Amino acid sequence: MANFIPAGDGGHTGWRAAVQKLGGNLAGMVIPNIGAFIAWGLLTALFIPTGWTPNEQLAAMVGPMIVNLLPILIGYTGGRLVHGQRGAVIGAVATVGVIVGTSIPMFLGAMIIGPLAAWALKKIDAVLDPVTPPGFEMLIGNFSLGIAGLLMAILGYLGIGPTVNALSDVLGKGVQALIDTGLLPLASILIEPAKVLFLNNAINHGVLAPIGVVQAEELGKSIMFMLETNPGPGLGILVAFWLAGPKILRGSAPGAIIIHFLGGIHEIYFPYVLLRPLVILGAIAGGATGVAIFLATGVGLVATPSPGSIFAYLAVTPPGNHFGVFAGILLSAAVSFVVTFLILKASKAGDDDLDAAKAKSKAMKTGAAE
Amino acid sequence: MATISGADVKHIVVACEAGMGSSVMVAKMLAKQLKHTGITVSHTPVNQLADEPHDVVLCHRGLGSRAKQAVPGSVVIVFDMFLGDFKIAQLVSDLSEGAEIVGD
Repeated sequence: MANFIPAGDGGHTGWRAAVQKLGGNLAGMVIPNIGAFIAWGLLTALFIPTGWTPNEQLAAMVGPMIVNLLPILIGYTGGRLVHGQRGAVIGAVATVGVIVGTSIPMFLGAMIIGPLAAWALKKIDAVLDPVTPPGFEMLIGNFSLGIAGLLMAILGYLGIGPTVNALSDVLGKGVQALIDTGLLPLASILIEPAKVLFLNNAINHGVLAPIGVVQAEELGKSIMFMLETNPGPGLGILVAFWLAGPKILRGSAPGAIIIHFLGGIHEIYFPYVLLRPLVILGAIAGGATGVAIFLATGVGLVATPSPGSIFAYLAVTPPGNHFGVFAGILLSAAVSFVVTFLILKASKAGDDDLDAAKAKSKAMKTGAAE
Repeated sequence: MATISGADVKHIVVACEAGMGSSVMVAKMLAKQLKHTGITVSHTPVNQLADEPHDVVLCHRGLGSRAKQAVPGSVVIVFDMFLGDFKIAQLVSDLSEGAEIVGD
Protein backbone atom coordinates (compact mmCIF):
# COMPACT_ATOMS: atom_id res chain seq x y z
CA MET A 1 0.00 0.00 0.00
CA ALA A 2 1.47 3.34 -1.03
CA ASN A 3 2.21 5.36 2.03
CA PHE A 4 2.54 9.00 1.14
CA ILE A 5 3.04 10.07 4.71
CA PRO A 6 6.70 9.39 5.44
CA ALA A 7 6.28 9.14 9.20
CA GLY A 8 3.91 6.23 8.77
CA ASP A 9 3.31 3.13 10.80
CA GLY A 10 6.14 1.02 9.44
CA GLY A 11 8.01 -1.57 11.44
CA HIS A 12 10.75 0.82 12.56
CA THR A 13 8.35 2.96 14.56
CA GLY A 14 7.68 0.43 17.32
CA TRP A 15 9.22 2.78 19.88
CA ARG A 16 6.76 5.44 18.86
CA ALA A 17 3.80 3.16 19.41
CA ALA A 18 5.24 2.22 22.81
CA VAL A 19 5.75 5.83 23.88
CA GLN A 20 2.33 6.74 22.52
CA LYS A 21 0.79 3.89 24.45
CA LEU A 22 2.39 4.98 27.71
CA GLY A 23 1.39 8.55 27.02
CA GLY A 24 -2.08 7.42 26.03
CA ASN A 25 -2.47 5.72 29.38
CA LEU A 26 -1.30 8.82 31.23
CA ALA A 27 -3.63 11.01 29.21
CA GLY A 28 -6.40 8.42 29.62
CA MET A 29 -6.30 9.02 33.37
CA VAL A 30 -6.44 12.80 33.04
CA ILE A 31 -8.63 13.60 30.05
CA PRO A 32 -11.90 12.08 31.34
CA ASN A 33 -11.49 14.36 34.37
CA ILE A 34 -10.86 17.60 32.51
CA GLY A 35 -14.28 18.88 33.51
CA ALA A 36 -13.21 18.78 37.17
CA PHE A 37 -10.00 20.60 36.25
CA ILE A 38 -12.05 23.30 34.58
CA ALA A 39 -14.29 23.68 37.65
CA TRP A 40 -11.16 24.09 39.73
CA GLY A 41 -9.55 26.44 37.21
CA LEU A 42 -12.60 28.69 37.13
CA LEU A 43 -12.88 28.71 40.93
CA THR A 44 -9.23 29.71 41.09
CA ALA A 45 -9.51 32.38 38.41
CA LEU A 46 -12.54 33.91 40.11
CA PHE A 47 -11.99 33.72 43.84
CA ILE A 48 -8.32 33.64 44.84
CA PRO A 49 -6.92 36.95 46.18
CA THR A 50 -5.53 37.90 42.75
CA GLY A 51 -8.66 36.69 40.92
CA TRP A 52 -11.55 38.51 39.26
CA THR A 53 -13.75 38.70 42.38
CA PRO A 54 -11.70 37.68 45.41
CA ASN A 55 -13.81 35.81 47.97
CA GLU A 56 -12.17 34.18 50.94
CA GLN A 57 -14.94 31.71 51.78
CA LEU A 58 -15.37 30.38 48.24
CA ALA A 59 -11.61 30.34 47.69
CA ALA A 60 -11.42 27.80 50.52
CA MET A 61 -12.51 25.19 47.96
CA VAL A 62 -9.45 25.77 45.76
CA GLY A 63 -6.92 23.97 47.94
CA PRO A 64 -8.87 20.79 48.75
CA MET A 65 -9.88 20.42 45.12
CA ILE A 66 -6.38 20.54 43.70
CA VAL A 67 -4.68 18.66 46.52
CA ASN A 68 -7.33 16.00 47.20
CA LEU A 69 -10.09 15.79 44.61
CA LEU A 70 -8.12 15.93 41.37
CA PRO A 71 -5.43 13.37 42.32
CA ILE A 72 -8.13 11.02 43.67
CA LEU A 73 -10.05 11.33 40.40
CA ILE A 74 -6.86 10.53 38.49
CA GLY A 75 -6.10 7.54 40.71
CA TYR A 76 -9.72 6.38 40.40
CA THR A 77 -9.70 6.65 36.60
CA GLY A 78 -6.27 5.02 36.38
CA GLY A 79 -7.52 2.11 38.47
CA ARG A 80 -10.63 1.78 36.33
CA LEU A 81 -8.52 1.48 33.17
CA VAL A 82 -6.74 -1.53 34.68
CA HIS A 83 -9.47 -3.38 36.58
CA GLY A 84 -12.90 -1.85 36.11
CA GLN A 85 -14.97 -0.56 39.03
CA ARG A 86 -13.06 -2.51 41.69
CA GLY A 87 -9.81 -1.17 40.28
CA ALA A 88 -11.21 2.34 40.38
CA VAL A 89 -12.18 2.06 44.05
CA ILE A 90 -8.83 0.70 45.18
CA GLY A 91 -7.04 3.25 43.01
CA ALA A 92 -8.85 6.05 44.83
CA VAL A 93 -8.12 4.54 48.25
CA ALA A 94 -4.42 4.10 47.50
CA THR A 95 -4.14 7.63 46.10
CA VAL A 96 -5.06 9.06 49.49
CA GLY A 97 -1.85 7.55 50.88
CA VAL A 98 0.19 9.36 48.27
CA ILE A 99 -1.64 12.65 48.85
CA VAL A 100 -1.16 12.65 52.60
CA GLY A 101 2.50 11.75 52.22
CA THR A 102 3.28 15.08 50.54
CA SER A 103 2.33 18.74 50.46
CA ILE A 104 2.18 19.25 46.68
CA PRO A 105 -0.62 18.21 44.28
CA MET A 106 0.23 14.56 43.66
CA PHE A 107 -0.72 14.06 40.02
CA LEU A 108 2.28 11.93 39.09
CA GLY A 109 1.94 9.88 42.26
CA ALA A 110 -1.74 9.25 41.52
CA MET A 111 -0.85 8.20 37.97
CA ILE A 112 1.48 5.57 39.44
CA ILE A 113 -0.38 4.28 42.48
CA GLY A 114 -3.88 4.16 40.94
CA PRO A 115 -3.08 1.65 38.17
CA LEU A 116 -0.57 -0.16 40.42
CA ALA A 117 -3.13 -0.76 43.16
CA ALA A 118 -5.69 -1.91 40.59
CA TRP A 119 -3.15 -4.26 39.05
CA ALA A 120 -2.38 -5.75 42.47
CA LEU A 121 -6.09 -6.26 43.15
CA LYS A 122 -6.51 -7.89 39.74
CA LYS A 123 -3.82 -10.41 40.67
CA ILE A 124 -5.44 -11.01 44.06
CA ASP A 125 -8.86 -11.49 42.47
CA ALA A 126 -7.41 -13.97 40.01
CA VAL A 127 -6.23 -16.10 42.96
CA LEU A 128 -9.31 -15.73 45.19
CA ASP A 129 -12.10 -15.96 42.60
CA PRO A 130 -11.71 -19.68 41.78
CA VAL A 131 -11.57 -20.74 45.44
CA THR A 132 -14.40 -18.55 46.76
CA PRO A 133 -17.27 -20.74 48.05
CA PRO A 134 -20.74 -19.82 46.70
CA GLY A 135 -22.41 -17.17 48.84
CA PHE A 136 -19.11 -15.73 50.06
CA GLU A 137 -18.37 -13.63 46.95
CA MET A 138 -19.45 -10.37 48.51
CA LEU A 139 -17.71 -10.93 51.82
CA ILE A 140 -14.43 -11.94 50.25
CA GLY A 141 -14.66 -9.34 47.49
CA ASN A 142 -15.22 -6.47 49.91
CA PHE A 143 -12.56 -7.49 52.39
CA SER A 144 -9.93 -8.34 49.79
CA LEU A 145 -10.39 -4.86 48.32
CA GLY A 146 -10.46 -3.24 51.74
CA ILE A 147 -7.34 -4.92 53.03
CA ALA A 148 -5.41 -4.56 49.77
CA GLY A 149 -6.49 -0.90 49.63
CA LEU A 150 -5.18 -0.30 53.13
CA LEU A 151 -1.84 -1.84 52.23
CA MET A 152 -1.55 0.08 48.96
CA ALA A 153 -2.37 3.35 50.75
CA ILE A 154 0.42 2.66 53.23
CA LEU A 155 2.79 1.82 50.38
CA GLY A 156 1.80 5.08 48.71
CA TYR A 157 2.34 7.05 51.90
CA LEU A 158 5.74 5.55 52.72
CA GLY A 159 7.17 4.79 49.29
CA ILE A 160 5.61 6.50 46.31
CA GLY A 161 4.68 9.84 47.87
CA PRO A 162 8.19 10.81 49.00
CA THR A 163 9.78 9.44 45.80
CA VAL A 164 7.50 11.41 43.52
CA ASN A 165 7.86 14.43 45.77
CA ALA A 166 11.62 14.35 45.27
CA LEU A 167 11.17 13.80 41.53
CA SER A 168 8.73 16.72 41.25
CA ASP A 169 11.21 18.85 43.15
CA VAL A 170 13.94 18.11 40.63
CA LEU A 171 11.59 18.65 37.68
CA GLY A 172 10.30 21.89 39.15
CA LYS A 173 13.83 23.18 39.82
CA GLY A 174 14.87 22.25 36.28
CA VAL A 175 11.92 24.10 34.80
CA GLN A 176 12.55 27.09 37.06
CA ALA A 177 16.17 27.16 35.85
CA LEU A 178 14.94 27.17 32.24
CA ILE A 179 12.59 30.05 33.07
CA ASP A 180 15.24 32.03 34.97
CA THR A 181 17.85 31.68 32.24
CA GLY A 182 15.34 32.48 29.50
CA LEU A 183 16.01 29.16 27.77
CA LEU A 184 12.43 27.92 28.04
CA PRO A 185 11.58 28.77 24.38
CA LEU A 186 14.04 26.05 23.37
CA ALA A 187 11.56 23.53 24.75
CA SER A 188 9.60 24.07 21.52
CA ILE A 189 12.36 22.22 19.63
CA LEU A 190 11.24 19.06 21.43
CA ILE A 191 7.59 19.80 21.98
CA GLU A 192 6.43 20.72 18.48
CA PRO A 193 7.82 17.66 16.63
CA ALA A 194 6.65 15.31 19.38
CA LYS A 195 3.23 16.91 19.23
CA VAL A 196 2.60 16.12 15.56
CA LEU A 197 3.65 12.52 16.18
CA PHE A 198 0.49 12.30 18.30
CA LEU A 199 2.40 12.60 21.57
CA ASN A 200 0.51 15.82 22.28
CA ASN A 201 -1.64 14.48 25.11
CA ALA A 202 1.25 12.56 26.64
CA ILE A 203 3.40 15.69 26.77
CA ASN A 204 0.74 18.06 28.01
CA HIS A 205 -1.23 15.94 30.45
CA GLY A 206 1.56 13.53 31.39
CA VAL A 207 4.50 15.89 31.81
CA LEU A 208 3.79 19.62 31.59
CA ALA A 209 0.46 19.91 33.42
CA PRO A 210 1.61 18.08 36.59
CA ILE A 211 4.53 20.54 36.86
CA GLY A 212 2.25 23.46 36.03
CA VAL A 213 -0.28 22.54 38.65
CA VAL A 214 2.36 22.75 41.40
CA GLN A 215 3.36 26.22 40.19
CA ALA A 216 -0.26 27.30 39.85
CA GLU A 217 -0.98 26.31 43.41
CA GLU A 218 1.91 28.46 44.64
CA LEU A 219 1.70 31.42 42.27
CA GLY A 220 -1.88 31.29 40.97
CA LYS A 221 -0.69 30.68 37.41
CA SER A 222 1.84 28.77 35.35
CA ILE A 223 3.46 29.07 31.94
CA MET A 224 3.78 25.28 31.74
CA PHE A 225 0.14 25.02 30.68
CA MET A 226 0.93 27.09 27.57
CA LEU A 227 3.91 25.25 26.09
CA GLU A 228 2.00 22.54 24.26
CA THR A 229 -1.49 24.02 24.16
CA ASN A 230 -0.77 27.29 22.32
CA PRO A 231 -3.01 27.14 19.23
CA GLY A 232 -0.93 29.83 17.47
CA PRO A 233 1.67 27.68 15.67
CA GLY A 234 -0.97 25.32 14.28
CA LEU A 235 -3.07 28.27 13.14
CA GLY A 236 -0.11 29.74 11.24
CA ILE A 237 0.60 26.43 9.54
CA LEU A 238 -3.02 25.93 8.45
CA VAL A 239 -3.30 29.47 7.06
CA ALA A 240 -0.06 28.95 5.14
CA PHE A 241 -1.37 25.66 3.70
CA TRP A 242 -4.59 27.41 2.74
CA LEU A 243 -2.72 30.08 0.78
CA ALA A 244 0.33 28.21 -0.49
CA GLY A 245 -0.09 24.51 0.19
CA PRO A 246 -0.47 21.69 -2.33
CA LYS A 247 -3.74 22.23 -4.21
CA ILE A 248 -5.41 19.09 -2.94
CA LEU A 249 -4.95 20.27 0.65
CA ARG A 250 -6.10 23.86 0.27
CA GLY A 251 -9.79 23.06 0.21
CA SER A 252 -9.85 21.46 3.63
CA ALA A 253 -7.70 24.11 5.33
CA PRO A 254 -10.42 26.67 6.22
CA GLY A 255 -12.53 24.04 7.96
CA ALA A 256 -9.42 22.78 9.71
CA ILE A 257 -8.63 26.30 10.90
CA ILE A 258 -12.01 26.59 12.61
CA ILE A 259 -11.80 23.14 14.20
CA HIS A 260 -8.24 23.78 15.37
CA PHE A 261 -8.38 27.36 16.64
CA LEU A 262 -11.95 27.57 17.88
CA GLY A 263 -12.69 23.91 18.60
CA GLY A 264 -9.25 23.19 20.03
CA ILE A 265 -8.71 19.86 18.27
CA HIS A 266 -5.03 20.26 17.38
CA GLU A 267 -4.82 16.79 15.81
CA ILE A 268 -6.38 18.25 12.70
CA TYR A 269 -3.20 20.06 11.65
CA PHE A 270 -0.78 17.18 12.33
CA PRO A 271 -1.43 15.45 8.97
CA TYR A 272 -0.52 18.62 7.08
CA VAL A 273 2.85 18.70 8.85
CA LEU A 274 3.39 14.97 8.30
CA LEU A 275 2.79 15.52 4.58
CA ARG A 276 5.40 18.28 4.46
CA PRO A 277 7.76 17.43 7.33
CA LEU A 278 9.99 20.47 6.77
CA VAL A 279 7.06 22.62 7.87
CA ILE A 280 7.79 21.52 11.44
CA LEU A 281 10.38 24.33 11.42
CA GLY A 282 7.47 26.75 11.23
CA ALA A 283 5.81 25.15 14.23
CA ILE A 284 9.06 25.25 16.20
CA ALA A 285 9.76 28.90 15.32
CA GLY A 286 6.17 29.85 16.14
CA GLY A 287 6.10 27.86 19.36
CA ALA A 288 9.40 29.33 20.56
CA THR A 289 8.19 32.84 19.73
CA GLY A 290 5.05 32.30 21.75
CA VAL A 291 6.93 30.94 24.75
CA ALA A 292 9.42 33.82 24.59
CA ILE A 293 6.58 36.36 24.67
CA PHE A 294 4.72 34.55 27.45
CA LEU A 295 7.99 34.55 29.39
CA ALA A 296 8.87 38.20 28.68
CA THR A 297 5.41 39.44 29.67
CA GLY A 298 5.39 37.17 32.74
CA VAL A 299 1.99 35.62 31.98
CA GLY A 300 0.58 32.22 32.81
CA LEU A 301 -2.70 30.33 32.95
CA VAL A 302 -4.52 29.11 36.05
CA ALA A 303 -5.23 25.66 34.62
CA THR A 304 -4.57 23.66 31.51
CA PRO A 305 -6.70 24.86 28.60
CA SER A 306 -8.19 21.63 27.31
CA PRO A 307 -9.00 21.37 24.48
CA GLY A 308 -6.44 23.93 23.27
CA SER A 309 -9.04 26.30 21.87
CA ILE A 310 -8.86 30.08 22.03
CA PHE A 311 -12.07 29.95 24.09
CA ALA A 312 -10.47 27.62 26.65
CA TYR A 313 -7.55 30.06 26.81
CA LEU A 314 -9.96 32.91 27.51
CA ALA A 315 -11.49 30.96 30.39
CA VAL A 316 -8.22 30.20 32.19
CA THR A 317 -6.35 33.47 31.65
CA PRO A 318 -6.09 35.30 34.99
CA PRO A 319 -6.78 39.06 35.24
CA GLY A 320 -4.04 41.28 33.82
CA ASN A 321 -2.52 38.49 31.74
CA HIS A 322 -4.62 38.93 28.61
CA PHE A 323 -2.23 41.16 26.72
CA GLY A 324 0.73 38.82 27.05
CA VAL A 325 -1.32 35.72 26.37
CA PHE A 326 -2.92 37.05 23.20
CA ALA A 327 0.25 38.74 21.97
CA GLY A 328 2.04 35.40 22.37
CA ILE A 329 -0.63 33.45 20.51
CA LEU A 330 -0.93 35.96 17.67
CA LEU A 331 2.80 36.41 17.16
CA SER A 332 3.44 32.68 17.31
CA ALA A 333 0.77 32.26 14.61
CA ALA A 334 2.37 35.03 12.53
CA VAL A 335 5.89 33.59 12.80
CA SER A 336 4.77 30.04 12.08
CA PHE A 337 2.74 31.33 9.11
CA VAL A 338 5.68 33.20 7.57
CA VAL A 339 8.14 30.33 7.99
CA THR A 340 5.65 27.72 6.73
CA PHE A 341 4.62 29.93 3.81
CA LEU A 342 8.25 30.32 2.70
CA ILE A 343 8.91 26.58 3.02
CA LEU A 344 5.80 25.73 1.02
CA LYS A 345 6.68 28.26 -1.68
CA ALA A 346 10.24 26.95 -1.88
CA SER A 347 9.10 23.33 -2.18
CA LYS A 348 6.39 24.04 -4.76
CA ALA A 349 8.08 21.64 -7.17
CA GLY A 350 7.11 18.70 -5.00
CA ASP A 351 3.43 19.42 -5.55
CA ASP A 352 3.12 17.09 -8.52
CA ASP A 353 4.87 14.27 -6.68
CA LEU A 354 2.27 14.43 -3.97
CA ASP A 355 -0.61 14.39 -6.42
CA ALA A 356 0.99 11.47 -8.18
CA ALA A 357 1.54 9.61 -4.93
CA LYS A 358 -2.05 10.16 -3.92
CA ALA A 359 -3.34 9.06 -7.29
CA LYS A 360 -1.13 5.99 -7.17
CA SER A 361 -2.26 5.17 -3.68
CA LYS A 362 -5.86 5.57 -4.76
CA ALA A 363 -5.34 3.34 -7.78
CA MET A 364 -3.79 0.65 -5.63
CA LYS A 365 -6.62 0.88 -3.15
CA THR A 366 -9.20 0.52 -5.90
CA GLY A 367 -7.18 -2.28 -7.43
CA ALA A 368 -7.02 -4.12 -4.13
CA ALA A 369 -10.76 -3.81 -3.68
CA GLU A 370 -11.56 -5.51 -6.96
CA MET B 1 -5.23 -9.28 5.84
CA ALA B 2 -8.66 -8.93 7.38
CA THR B 3 -11.56 -8.29 5.04
CA ILE B 4 -15.28 -7.86 5.44
CA SER B 5 -18.12 -7.39 2.99
CA GLY B 6 -19.61 -3.91 3.11
CA ALA B 7 -23.05 -5.49 3.40
CA ASP B 8 -22.09 -7.15 6.71
CA VAL B 9 -20.91 -3.99 8.42
CA LYS B 10 -23.28 -2.88 11.16
CA HIS B 11 -21.02 -0.86 13.39
CA ILE B 12 -17.88 1.22 12.87
CA VAL B 13 -15.58 2.46 15.62
CA VAL B 14 -13.36 5.50 15.20
CA ALA B 15 -10.33 5.51 17.52
CA CYS B 16 -8.09 8.34 18.64
CA GLU B 17 -5.65 8.90 21.47
CA ALA B 18 -8.09 10.04 24.13
CA GLY B 19 -11.34 8.98 22.49
CA MET B 20 -12.80 12.41 23.20
CA GLY B 21 -11.44 14.75 20.53
CA SER B 22 -10.68 13.97 16.93
CA SER B 23 -12.38 10.55 16.95
CA VAL B 24 -15.65 12.13 18.07
CA MET B 25 -15.42 14.63 15.25
CA VAL B 26 -14.69 11.99 12.58
CA ALA B 27 -17.37 9.67 14.00
CA LYS B 28 -19.99 12.43 13.84
CA MET B 29 -19.12 13.30 10.25
CA LEU B 30 -19.10 9.65 9.21
CA ALA B 31 -22.39 8.94 10.96
CA LYS B 32 -23.98 11.78 9.01
CA GLN B 33 -22.78 10.30 5.73
CA LEU B 34 -23.98 6.81 6.69
CA LYS B 35 -27.35 7.90 8.08
CA HIS B 36 -29.37 6.27 5.28
CA THR B 37 -27.56 2.91 5.65
CA GLY B 38 -28.45 2.20 9.28
CA ILE B 39 -24.77 1.64 10.11
CA THR B 40 -23.87 3.06 13.49
CA VAL B 41 -20.61 4.83 14.35
CA SER B 42 -19.02 5.24 17.77
CA HIS B 43 -15.68 6.46 19.12
CA THR B 44 -13.16 5.17 21.65
CA PRO B 45 -9.60 5.63 22.94
CA VAL B 46 -7.25 3.46 20.90
CA ASN B 47 -6.08 1.65 24.06
CA GLN B 48 -9.62 0.46 24.74
CA LEU B 49 -10.46 -0.67 21.20
CA ALA B 50 -10.65 -4.32 22.26
CA ASP B 51 -13.56 -3.57 24.61
CA GLU B 52 -15.63 -1.91 21.90
CA PRO B 53 -17.66 -4.22 19.63
CA HIS B 54 -17.06 -3.32 15.98
CA ASP B 55 -17.03 -4.57 12.41
CA VAL B 56 -14.59 -1.97 11.08
CA VAL B 57 -12.06 0.23 12.90
CA LEU B 58 -11.04 3.62 11.57
CA CYS B 59 -8.12 5.65 12.87
CA HIS B 60 -5.40 8.05 11.78
CA ARG B 61 -2.25 6.58 10.31
CA GLY B 62 -0.22 7.91 13.24
CA LEU B 63 -2.09 5.55 15.55
CA GLY B 64 -2.40 2.73 13.02
CA SER B 65 0.14 0.33 14.51
CA ARG B 66 -1.39 0.66 17.97
CA ALA B 67 -4.88 0.01 16.63
CA LYS B 68 -3.65 -3.12 14.86
CA GLN B 69 -1.95 -4.28 18.05
CA ALA B 70 -5.15 -3.72 20.02
CA VAL B 71 -7.43 -5.61 17.62
CA PRO B 72 -5.23 -7.83 15.42
CA GLY B 73 -8.11 -9.71 13.78
CA SER B 74 -10.21 -6.70 12.81
CA VAL B 75 -10.50 -4.69 9.63
CA VAL B 76 -8.51 -1.57 10.49
CA ILE B 77 -8.60 1.29 8.01
CA VAL B 78 -6.13 4.12 8.47
CA PHE B 79 -6.73 7.59 7.06
CA ASP B 80 -4.43 10.56 6.64
CA MET B 81 -6.58 13.68 6.78
CA PHE B 82 -9.24 14.45 9.33
CA LEU B 83 -11.18 16.41 6.73
CA GLY B 84 -11.83 15.27 3.17
CA ASP B 85 -9.85 12.02 3.27
CA PHE B 86 -10.33 9.84 0.20
CA LYS B 87 -10.02 6.61 2.23
CA ILE B 88 -13.05 7.63 4.28
CA ALA B 89 -14.91 8.57 1.10
CA GLN B 90 -13.93 5.20 -0.35
CA LEU B 91 -15.20 3.44 2.76
CA VAL B 92 -18.55 5.20 2.54
CA SER B 93 -19.00 4.19 -1.09
CA ASP B 94 -17.86 0.60 -0.40
CA LEU B 95 -20.40 0.39 2.39
CA SER B 96 -23.31 1.65 0.36
CA GLU B 97 -22.39 -0.66 -2.55
CA GLY B 98 -21.77 -3.64 -0.26
CA ALA B 99 -18.29 -4.00 -1.76
CA GLU B 100 -15.44 -5.95 -0.15
CA ILE B 101 -13.59 -3.84 2.44
CA VAL B 102 -9.92 -4.65 2.94
CA GLY B 103 -8.07 -3.61 6.09
CA ASP B 104 -4.73 -1.81 5.85
